[in-house]
Amino acid sequence: MKGAALVLLPLLAAALSLLVGATQLEPGAVAFTLLHPGAPGTLHTIVWQLRLPRVCIAATVGASLALCGALLQGMLRNPLVDPYLTGVSAAAAAAIAISIVAGVSAAASPAIGFVAGLAAALLVAALARRGDGIDSNRLILAGVSLSTLFAAIVTLAVVRAQSTEYASIVVAWLAGSMAGRGWPDLAAAAPYVVAGTLLALSTAAPLNALRIGELRARSIGLNVARAQWVMLAASSLLAASSVVLAGLVGFIGLIVPHLARRIVGSDARVLLPACASIGAALCMCADTICRRIVAPAELPIGVLLAFIGVPTFLYLYLRPATQHGSL
Amino acid sequence: MIELRGVELSVGGRQLLERIDASVAAGEFVAVLGRNGAGKTTLLRAIAGLHRTASGTILIDGRRSDSLHALERAQRIAFVTGDEVFLEALQVRDVVAIGRFAHHRWWQWHAAREDDTAIARALEAVRLEGLAERLFSTLSAGERQRVWIALGLAQETPILLLDEPTSHLDVAVAHEILSLLRGLARNGKSIVCALHDVNEAAEYADRVALLGDGRLLSISAPGALRDGRLLQETYGIAFTRRSALLPLLEHPHV
Repeated sequence: MKGAALVLLPLLAAALSLLVGATQLEPGAVAFTLLHPGAPGTLHTIVWQLRLPRVCIAATVGASLALCGALLQGMLRNPLVDPYLTGVSAAAAAAIAISIVAGVSAAASPAIGFVAGLAAALLVAALARRGDGIDSNRLILAGVSLSTLFAAIVTLAVVRAQSTEYASIVVAWLAGSMAGRGWPDLAAAAPYVVAGTLLALSTAAPLNALRIGELRARSIGLNVARAQWVMLAASSLLAASSVVLAGLVGFIGLIVPHLARRIVGSDARVLLPACASIGAALCMCADTICRRIVAPAELPIGVLLAFIGVPTFLYLYLRPATQHGSL
Repeated sequence: MIELRGVELSVGGRQLLERIDASVAAGEFVAVLGRNGAGKTTLLRAIAGLHRTASGTILIDGRRSDSLHALERAQRIAFVTGDEVFLEALQVRDVVAIGRFAHHRWWQWHAAREDDTAIARALEAVRLEGLAERLFSTLSAGERQRVWIALGLAQETPILLLDEPTSHLDVAVAHEILSLLRGLARNGKSIVCALHDVNEAAEYADRVALLGDGRLLSISAPGALRDGRLLQETYGIAFTRRSALLPLLEHPHV
């Protein structure tokens, strides 16, 4: 029952997202257009060139952030960790902000952001390394420190921008948005998202093992160091990809793992797919509302998610734990 | 079968134990005694492959412990420690099921029938069948200790190492756990158990190993403890025998 709901949820969200927007579309017409991709016309352009890529990007970003959050929360055994903790996103954001302000071609910005994000992941890993593995406290400290540094770089880039137009582009981009993204952006990020997702799913059993503490996990045969490196690699790929696709989309990576635990429990074998499903659905719904609520303008998704996310998070976290409870 | 040949252990560059030669046979229950910081936990961790030896060799069934793959080692040795962890949302059965990790490949997501059997057997052995659905966080200290032992049993290993399994437990639960361990030894497991209570060790173990002064002072049958000098050397204080009870007890009571 829950499994079927978790499959249907993103499909319903995708259908809603395709139908609702500045122009309302008929379900039959959308279905026909989806089944006839070669058909000409305005409807075809709206569905195939505007909404469908955006729906796919929203689903990808939501699933990536939620998976990344669940992975890092499990790895660091800390329920307050979010995907941006490792500094990967902040580095990608800083690089993209600099490239925008410097007038670099918009097409090149995602690649620059992605490279910076992965470079930051390597730097954080080097700083957090202890013996063969990763020290959780060092990782958090290194990630938070570097995030602060990169945030300062973004601020500097905005303040020193040659024109207010560049500065406003950076600010809008930082607030999180999928406006203007299309198939080429998704195609560029796809290999990294797929790799990150597969790596994340491969760590389900190690994530469960780590719940009983590192020492016990080692004693039952887990190579803790290797598991940590795989988890860090997966979370870095997913976080960098989502930032490149949609900027800084907050709260999904923090809230969705908590929400998923309430629904399916904390067994990582079920939790990780559930996070991907709920994250994708939530992001698609949020993007739909952002497109509709102040149409023809758009609300940044980060702003909307903060308004919904903060009360939801506080409700989930502060109410008494149930059978499945929190982390 | 565990064999230690000239094993030396260090912690943070400081030598803790020097040249330990000992062996534990299948079906044997060995208790390890010593003062706090004598090296009991470190010795158990070294046998479990969780602490590198400074020198010497540890053999598990004739094979060098450090040559065993982590999964292979976990199929031969279970290490039970009572260290607290935050497990708010896990049911007892889920915690015990984690002990089956070494019997799976990473792509095997679903529990096999052997897993269910092993988990049920482990829960039954520690008499936790009735609490299988309970949240771990709601258990008492004694029940939690039994969960950790069940996790070790679910590994289905011939060797079981336990680090102070009776700490924080009342007398009744402590004796229940030690009876269980003795029963497991009778069924063929090698049990090595660090304990604090000399009388518990003397009552339940086949042999008692005494650590002190940075070395293995003695490993012998509990009867050797009647010589108070060994215990005095181990703990640095004088022990007196409860002579009134001695005629009634096969083991020494100090």
